Amino acid sequence: MTHEEARTWLSAFLDAALPDHEAVQVEAHLEGCSSCREELAQLRTTVTLLQEVEPMQAPEGFAAEVRRRIERLAQAAQHSPWTRLRAALPWSSGSGPVVRWSWRTAAAAAAVVMVGVFTVNLLREAAPPGGVARVKMPELALDVSKVGEGARTTAQAVPPGAAPGEAAFLRRVIRTGQMAIEVERFDAAASRLFAIAEGAGGFVADSSFSEEDGVPRGTFVLRVPAARFSEVVVQVEKLGTVQRRQISGQDVTEEFIDLEARVRNLARQEARLLALMDRATKIPDLLAIEGEVARVRGEIERLTGRLRFMTNKVDLATVQAEVSQKPKKASGGFWDINRTLERVRTAFLNTVRQMLGAAESLAALAAALLPVALLVIVGWRLFLRATRRGDRAA
Amino acid sequence: MAFDERDLINRSRAGEIEAFDLLVRLHQDRIYNLAYRITGNREDASDAAQDAFVRAYQALRRYREDAAFSTWLYRIATNSALDLVRRRPAHQPVELSAEYRAPDDPEAAANRREVTRRVHAALGHLTVEYRTAVVLRDLQGLAYGEMARILQVPLGTVRSRLARGREAMRAQLTDLVSAEG
Repeated sequence: MTHEEARTWLSAFLDAALPDHEAVQVEAHLEGCSSCREELAQLRTTVTLLQEVEPMQAPEGFAAEVRRRIERLAQAAQHSPWTRLRAALPWSSGSGPVVRWSWRTAAAAAAVVMVGVFTVNLLREAAPPGGVARVKMPELALDVSKVGEGARTTAQAVPPGAAPGEAAFLRRVIRTGQMAIEVERFDAAASRLFAIAEGAGGFVADSSFSEEDGVPRGTFVLRVPAARFSEVVVQVEKLGTVQRRQISGQDVTEEFIDLEARVRNLARQEARLLALMDRATKIPDLLAIEGEVARVRGEIERLTGRLRFMTNKVDLATVQAEVSQKPKKASGGFWDINRTLERVRTAFLNTVRQMLGAAESLAALAAALLPVALLVIVGWRLFLRATRRGDRAA
Repeated sequence: MAFDERDLINRSRAGEIEAFDLLVRLHQDRIYNLAYRITGNREDASDAAQDAFVRAYQALRRYREDAAFSTWLYRIATNSALDLVRRRPAHQPVELSAEYRAPDDPEAAANRREVTRRVHAALGHLTVEYRTAVVLRDLQGLAYGEMARILQVPLGTVRSRLARGREAMRAQLTDLVSAEG
């Protein structure tokens, strides 16, 4: 051990705070070093002086001031929105019991999150957006599959207006629905049809009207976006009694691909011809090439026109509705008691049906929520236990 | 100790301010003393010590019983005092200490007052690191291990800071040291 090392260790040596082997070394050095012995003595005196220092006492009212500050702090905290929110939550309050983060707490928190996600999913299952129209979808899909195109209903996924080339591999189906409906009042049904078409983002392309034997009837052609086709069919059918219905889907995917390929080829051919024409020097050659260019261009126009037509057909499905008004029953003179009874009966049955429907929905919802409620109770119990444990541990 | 400190801590945690008030009264002198020696004047000492207790109250739920409560409190107080010193470095800490215990021997009391004054003035010339080490060890009587915990530095650092601090004190108090030795 050098003299310098020994000097830096004197302080700790004085406090007996050195490990044994170092203390021995310092002692050995002190044996032979009078200056270090002197320094140690002075250090000891210094420390004694320091220890003599009169201890201070906290000023008068110190504890009271601390208390005042803490209380003021708690008050301020109570007024902050964050604390109010925390106080509103059952598991936390400003200075109340504290939750210790343990695996139990974490598990309880995870359970709560899972229950939340589960609930959202269940609710979405129980009450899908779109209401009644969507609920009836399966029935419609069945009809479509009868026609033999069921597997292709997904083709509707093609967004309207998508460029033909972009999604050439997607199924392209022209969807058509035809139905005959008997309605109570023709005028009301007609205006509803316009509303349905517009509501679905489409339009009424064609309508005709005639009256036979005082009974009005008419044909309406609705063009609606393919994606809304099923929805529109359901809405139209709700107008009255369906007497006939035919839904068909014509798969034109191959024709689409074929047309697109041909257009591409012709365009390339046209480009080549134009290049040739630039280099042609003899008049007959020029004329021949020009004739050929005109033919190719014409062909391109024709094919693109066909493509455009088909895209339109695919994007916009067609619903043709033949609407006829129910022929009025021979009225029994001044007051048709049968008709009144019939109306009463219908109204009564409708009410009963609606009530049953509501009850059914409620029952389904309760059934959907039951497991969630159980999980919540179990999770809450666990959480309470974890919290109590945390308190005891604290 | 007349009060069960653990019980007081638990009750304070539950929000019982009476219990914490007792804890403050139990520790206020030592904490104030520490703050006074580090900051060098009463105003700052009072601020730092109060800050320390308020912070302790807020952090009480984070206090684990793996260290003594007083050590934990010391750490908070040391940091509060150091924060204050670093924030107001211009403030010159020269002030006479006027608090005494009942002086039974007037001459000894006068002597002690002089020593206190000189030590206090000398402490003011040390860097905060050395000063804190000397105060914690020789004025507050803490062990090296506790100091390491409070200052959050290794034991070796405590040792060397203390050695340098004491050496600086010795150099400043040479006349007193020779007179007494």
